[in-house]
Amino acid sequence: MKCILNTGRTVPQGTAVEHKGSDAYRTVASACFLNPVDMMLLGIENGARIRITTLTGYVVLTARSAEGVTRGEIFVTIGPYANHIISSETHGTGMPDFKSEWVDVEPTGESVRSVGELMEEIGGLRYDPE
Amino acid sequence: MTELLVKNACVIDPIRGINGDIMDIAIRDGRIVESVSDRAEVIDAQRCLTLPGGIDSHTHVCGTKVNFGRYMSPEDMRAGRTQRRGRMHVTSGYYVPTTFGNSYRYSAMGYTTLLEGAMAPLEARHTHEEFTATPHQDMMANTLFDGNWAVMDAVREKNVKKAAAIVGWTLNAVKGYGIKLTNPGGTEAWGWGEDLTSIREPVPHFEVTPAEIITTMIRANELLKLPHSVHLHCNNLGKPGNYQTTLDTFDLVPDLNPDRQTLYATHVQFHAYGGGTWRNICSKTEEITRSVNSKPQIVMDMGQIMFCRTMTMTADGPMEFNLHCLHHNKWSNHDVELETGSGIIPVTYSKKSAVNCIMWAIGLELALLTKSPWQCLLETDNPNGAPFVKYPEVIGLLMSKRYRDEECATLHADTEGRTSLWALEREMDWHDIAVMTRAGQAKALGIINQGKGHLGIGAEADIAIYPIRTDSVDPAREYRKVVEGFQKTSYTIKRGRVVSRDGEIIVDGANTTFWVNARIPEDLRVDNDPEFIRRFQEYYTVRMSNYPVQDLYLPRGRRVDTEAFT
Amino acid sequence: MILNDVVCPFCGCLCDDLELEVEGDRVVRVQNGCSLAEATFMNDTRLPAPIRRTTTGWEKISYDEAIKETADILKDADRPLLYGWSSTHGEAQSVGVHIAERIGAVIDNTSTVCHGPSILAIQEVGHPGCTLGQVKNRADVIIYWGCNPIEAHPRHMSRYTTFATGFFVPDAQRERTVIVVDTRRNDTANIADEFLQMEPGGDYAVLSALRAIVRGKESIIPKKVAGISKEQLIRVANICKNAKFGAIFFGLGLTMSRGKYKNVRNAIELTDELSRHTKFVISPMRGHGNVYGSNEVFTWMTGYPFAVDFARGIAFYNPGETTAVDILRRGECDAALIVASDPGANFPRVAAAHLAKIPTVLIDPHVNATTALSRIHIPCTAAGIDAAGTAYRMDGVPIRMKKVIERGYPDDAEILKKIYDRLNGEMGS
Repeated sequence: MKCILNTGRTVPQGTAVEHKGSDAYRTVASACFLNPVDMMLLGIENGARIRITTLTGYVVLTARSAEGVTRGEIFVTIGPYANHIISSETHGTGMPDFKSEWVDVEPTGESVRSVGELMEEIGGLRYDPE
Repeated sequence: MTELLVKNACVIDPIRGINGDIMDIAIRDGRIVESVSDRAEVIDAQRCLTLPGGIDSHTHVCGTKVNFGRYMSPEDMRAGRTQRRGRMHVTSGYYVPTTFGNSYRYSAMGYTTLLEGAMAPLEARHTHEEFTATPHQDMMANTLFDGNWAVMDAVREKNVKKAAAIVGWTLNAVKGYGIKLTNPGGTEAWGWGEDLTSIREPVPHFEVTPAEIITTMIRANELLKLPHSVHLHCNNLGKPGNYQTTLDTFDLVPDLNPDRQTLYATHVQFHAYGGGTWRNICSKTEEITRSVNSKPQIVMDMGQIMFCRTMTMTADGPMEFNLHCLHHNKWSNHDVELETGSGIIPVTYSKKSAVNCIMWAIGLELALLTKSPWQCLLETDNPNGAPFVKYPEVIGLLMSKRYRDEECATLHADTEGRTSLWALEREMDWHDIAVMTRAGQAKALGIINQGKGHLGIGAEADIAIYPIRTDSVDPAREYRKVVEGFQKTSYTIKRGRVVSRDGEIIVDGANTTFWVNARIPEDLRVDNDPEFIRRFQEYYTVRMSNYPVQDLYLPRGRRVDTEAFT
Repeated sequence: MILNDVVCPFCGCLCDDLELEVEGDRVVRVQNGCSLAEATFMNDTRLPAPIRRTTTGWEKISYDEAIKETADILKDADRPLLYGWSSTHGEAQSVGVHIAERIGAVIDNTSTVCHGPSILAIQEVGHPGCTLGQVKNRADVIIYWGCNPIEAHPRHMSRYTTFATGFFVPDAQRERTVIVVDTRRNDTANIADEFLQMEPGGDYAVLSALRAIVRGKESIIPKKVAGISKEQLIRVANICKNAKFGAIFFGLGLTMSRGKYKNVRNAIELTDELSRHTKFVISPMRGHGNVYGSNEVFTWMTGYPFAVDFARGIAFYNPGETTAVDILRRGECDAALIVASDPGANFPRVAAAHLAKIPTVLIDPHVNATTALSRIHIPCTAAGIDAAGTAYRMDGVPIRMKKVIERGYPDDAEILKKIYDRLNGEMGS
């Protein structure tokens, strides 16, 4: 299903923002909010894994039903999950398309990666505090 | 101990009555002394014009609206950029330069002390941060009280003492220097998108008039024994016909202080317009200067405009909006809760505009028609009328009728009939200029006894040596040499150190910020007044304990104590 | 120990009325704060000591070693990028600008991916605004456009707008009309008197429609604009025109969606238009606690609020070219110093990935996503928790953040000063 990716701040994201290695942060940053009708069309339940693909790449997120999201839109909190698939093109403004990236949404059996795994995928190395 | 001897200086020091004497100036540890040892470093001034360091008694160089002027103007930043070089940081900007740009360029022109014209108390910390980054001039901040709720309440209650106590507490809290009123009452009305049109019109909801605010604040100012007088930007700035408001305002002013004026009226050029529309605007400088010439209690500054592109910025929010509706360029506005307003728009003063030409003539007329140069000081309301780098041209115009005539010949044809400049023969001399650019400012700001504006024993060794030989230059004919000479000193000395040499800054700055602490009797202090505290906590969006500016924001602050109410 | 009138450094509201209970080096209770403030003060785990990435893992190093290596990295770089700055105080930001000037670096702050487009719009048309107290004391109409204060600035409504008692608005909840414009029915929308649910990317069109109606041209408006009915648009325009004092607050919904700075420009021009009828103001909802301060400091020092490039010796500014995401996307910088921010989490993948390819040093109190992309991570104090310093609220009011506890970390301004001194020593004048 083709959707527009919207991103933004949320309270749970804000409270966990300085704990990016935590499970709490993984849960909020990898949640993807969809309109219930769109979820029905995709044939998925709350908590199901979905694979979001753009020209940049793909990421696996957890689907969450939200009445407030319009059909054809998905909402993901700002952070490394959304950024994993957002293009770095800024159209000469310095600002990427954080709220208007076209994405493909499909159900998947893959699991949600950790922030550390995402960073390692782009050349980083996780630091695990003792 | 550091010693410096300036030899063969052609000194004009109006406060001490010295006019062109060739003399030596001895300096030890930043101050002027009788004599120094033979180990002192020597500068040979070669009989060049040597003046106390320049003082600007009304300029906008630091703080919220100045920085917003920069923020919104990348086009100007590109206009004046220089690289990092020696001790000099990168600079950007022409009419609203970066703090270092301001500081270096003022220093190159021999200026060593500046009064920031308008600081909103709530945002004072910002002004002080920028003062620290304007390192080559001693700084002072005019503090805005034009729409201060607590003050207006005191005015309504006709309680001068309470008004004074509020001012005293605020100046102490925000490390301010004096009282500034910008369009008194009008900035509060602008909180509702309105303005006041006369000094007798009440402020909405507060039921006080500008006239009442002005007269109460004048008395409060003297009760607090502040070194400077009330510093007023009159109501109705920039409106055709506003000279009547200005005259009415001047008529309110008693003569209360033997040492200085009782009212400092700033940028009077913008307040001396006759007519009723932009089509019939004309000069009313004869009326304005007749009033000032008969009132020693008033000092004004010119507010000269020069033909260029620049930025207007003032606490007078409604005026800026009106101007925006004429210019249709970008417009910023920033009202400050319980205190004041502000607005910013870029403008271009053009010789093709009759209005601009008339404004230009009015500024010069004010200076030429005011008998005593101590009563009409030279400035452009930087950057409102023009950036301060234009001061040398203003000096040239005041000293040379020929220069004025040559300029007048290039103006819009309607100018001559609506101004009197063409008829004015006066040419100011070097002494007049020294008064209008430092001595007069020192007296008006009340900083002579801080060692500013003169070169007497014990004075701060702030000295400007210009590459001008007054015995061989005829300013009336060789005005170009005058303009060039005032653009760049041979030496600018700040507290005994050479900071600028032929326009190049050669040391890191170490400026001072002057602020006033008026000691107020315990029983009158507003920070002991539960009602004042209650209203503060309820209506401001910062806590009263977080409002005062901490001493650490003034790393070399100098407190001026006054014994108020005595 | 109880501390009063403490400033929360988290978001652009900079609430300064918190009451904290402190025991030793820990904050044990936060009163008056929102849940973000509570987490900021109470759930504050730090990187204990400087670390350096090795081929296989991470090793602890001393501060001196970390500082020396950072200075060497910066000195040897041809095109270094200094990025971040919005979660620290002005004192550190100011040293950062001096370093950038010294080594000819590009320096950028987080507004580049936040309200950078708002700055571009302001540079075109200006900014009619005010301090938040003006809104609190006077506003009878509040518009939240493309922002969600309940989630991102949780006390904005209770301190400054909807629920705040003001001098001229004693019964705030009854006297203030709240209008929300968003693509999502978020929590803020649920308490609005008027909610305009807009199709994604419709901001520019809706703003244009409102401007047209305010100008008296409602006849040209189609039945629906980006999903919003003409009737509702006319109703909202009338509410605005009849306001005594109206305030628009806008968020990333305008700056990040299609049109970006043009959306913001249109919103400012709507404010300008309304100012010809009544009093109207507009303000961006600045995110990080001191992001506005980084704009202020950059501006008085360099002339530009963000994206400043010193490579030519002068300060040069060209957003889209000298902005951090673009510099990284093009793979242009060969070293990076990241201070008080997390581009690893907040930049698009390709931009973030470049940080891992070059020597990147992170100076930040917390382990974050950028840690994994760095060569060195130097922990420091957190401004407003164990370091005092200046911050600028979203409306430009400067506030001094307090030091409430001591945790034994060096201040980031101190670390940066040492790096600057080393660079000066080694590079000569």
